[in-house]
Amino acid sequence: MTEGYYDYPVVRRPVWTWEVPAYFWLGGMAAGAFLTASLAQTVGSADDRRVAADGFYVAALAIVPCAPLLIADLGRPQRFHHMLRIFKPMSPMNLGAWTLTGFTPLAFARAASHAADTGLLRGPFRALAKLAPRRLLELSGSLLGLVLAGYSGVLLGATNVPLWAKSKLLGGVFMASALSSGSAAVTLQAARRGAPDATLHRLSTVESVASLTEMAILTGYLMQSGKAARPLTTGRFAAPFWLGAVGVGALLPLLVHRFSGRDQGAMRSLTTVAAVCTMAGSLVLRWSIFEAGKVSSEDQAASFELSSD
Amino acid sequence: MIDGYKRLMNLEEPPPPKKAKGFFTDTSLCIGCKACEVACKQWNQLPADGFAITGNSYDNTGHLGATTWRHVQFIEQAKANGDRQEERWLMMSDVCKHCANAACLEACPTGALVRTEFDTVYVQQDICNGCGFCVPACPFGVIDRVPKESTFEVGTAHKCTLCYDRLKDDMTPACAKSCPTASIQFGDVEELRLRARQRLGELRERGESKARLYGMPEGKEATEVGPLHAFFLLLDKPEAYNLPEVPRLPRKTMAERYGWSAAVGIGFAMMAALVFRGGRR
Repeated sequence: MTEGYYDYPVVRRPVWTWEVPAYFWLGGMAAGAFLTASLAQTVGSADDRRVAADGFYVAALAIVPCAPLLIADLGRPQRFHHMLRIFKPMSPMNLGAWTLTGFTPLAFARAASHAADTGLLRGPFRALAKLAPRRLLELSGSLLGLVLAGYSGVLLGATNVPLWAKSKLLGGVFMASALSSGSAAVTLQAARRGAPDATLHRLSTVESVASLTEMAILTGYLMQSGKAARPLTTGRFAAPFWLGAVGVGALLPLLVHRFSGRDQGAMRSLTTVAAVCTMAGSLVLRWSIFEAGKVSSEDQAASFELSSD
Repeated sequence: MIDGYKRLMNLEEPPPPKKAKGFFTDTSLCIGCKACEVACKQWNQLPADGFAITGNSYDNTGHLGATTWRHVQFIEQAKANGDRQEERWLMMSDVCKHCANAACLEACPTGALVRTEFDTVYVQQDICNGCGFCVPACPFGVIDRVPKESTFEVGTAHKCTLCYDRLKDDMTPACAKSCPTASIQFGDVEELRLRARQRLGELRERGESKARLYGMPEGKEATEVGPLHAFFLLLDKPEAYNLPEVPRLPRKTMAERYGWSAAVGIGFAMMAALVFRGGRR
């Protein structure tokens, strides 16, 4: 046990507030929904394509509050555009700002094109939206979406906060959480709109794949973090993390999808419940890891451990 | 055309590089007078941090921060030595290390944090938008953001500038100027390193066996953040001064972190494609 200077923290406490996890959640969900919808367009059946295309609406809607949330968190919000005065991908914050700037119009354009298909858009706007190059939008949007969903955990990891930095897997955890919440949002919309059973079942399966990945990489993350994970796994954030993010957010939906069986009516409402749980769990996961990170930053012993091996 | 662009964007040529400047803080000479803290606050017009009493020795400053760029630590050590208790006070004036590979500078998304012609790390107050990323990036807990409800430079990041304004006029930074014992020495980094090695030799000869330098190019602490341009002579392990043994530079692990993100994303995309494909027959 190393003696430090009283019990004073080694690193400074992060100054970010609730806007940051809220943005990570919404941005991740937008990216996950866009990717799920794009994959269905590329390889899915006619039913899958029609139903999953609503994911483009989800993406466009979820991305709207993202930039305002990011700007609200700045110390000088009126200088938000300074983020884009240089291109510096070495800084995850700069890369994220550019990615959000690029992904937002792509999500809007692809949603508009979908709206033109379903007749939601009319008149000259419909003709304009019909011109959008869908395949190109899907491809570029999916790539930028992967960056958007994948950089947030890397950004937190690229600090000296023990809970965020000790394990290298946080980026993967947030990525999996983005994909599970994004695909869950598509499933939820499909259940609401009365999609065919087979399509709904496939969407639930995709959601389960993401949730399983999330649980696997989260396990790795907690094991690698070791003692540094204590502010998350014990104490104030233990209940929201274990019950909310892990229990309700992942295990419960996985069980529901596994055992909901073939009883059509029950399956439909259970799928809805499971999707809502997955989406909410994803928010709780970001929030609890984010807030527990602030506690972790004040953990002198964990800081010394981070810097000793 | 490039000239036209530069005029349009109001771009200036950076000043030509000069000799690297820095601090050598010799803690064996520090008497804990806090003149450096006061001189720094006065010259840089930094507001007071309140009148809180920590209860921990004579250190009521606590830590470096947005409005505290020098911080004198009072380390009280008591150890059993035979049949009598031997006590000692270690004092150390902490400051921004002006790392060769600065985590704050690499994290900064706006380019507000720059390296000056004196090879120091500096925050341009008119560029910083207060994103806060530099704050947890620094492995030493130096830089901080002013709260949004403050009366001083609201919402931007601050830390020691190595008195950039004074350096411009060939003056010594305020803290070094005010130090009555030459514990804080200012000068060319190269020359300060020679001086530090010589001083370490002297102290070792006198029996200070635990004396060591922190922040030299050959030190373990320089493996990631590089040599420190504000370096220290310590009388105990770095941890006693709340200094990390090997300060981490986030860039070193960034590729691996992105790799895991990408692996999860691409893995999911392939599995999901298989699931959708299954519905096609």
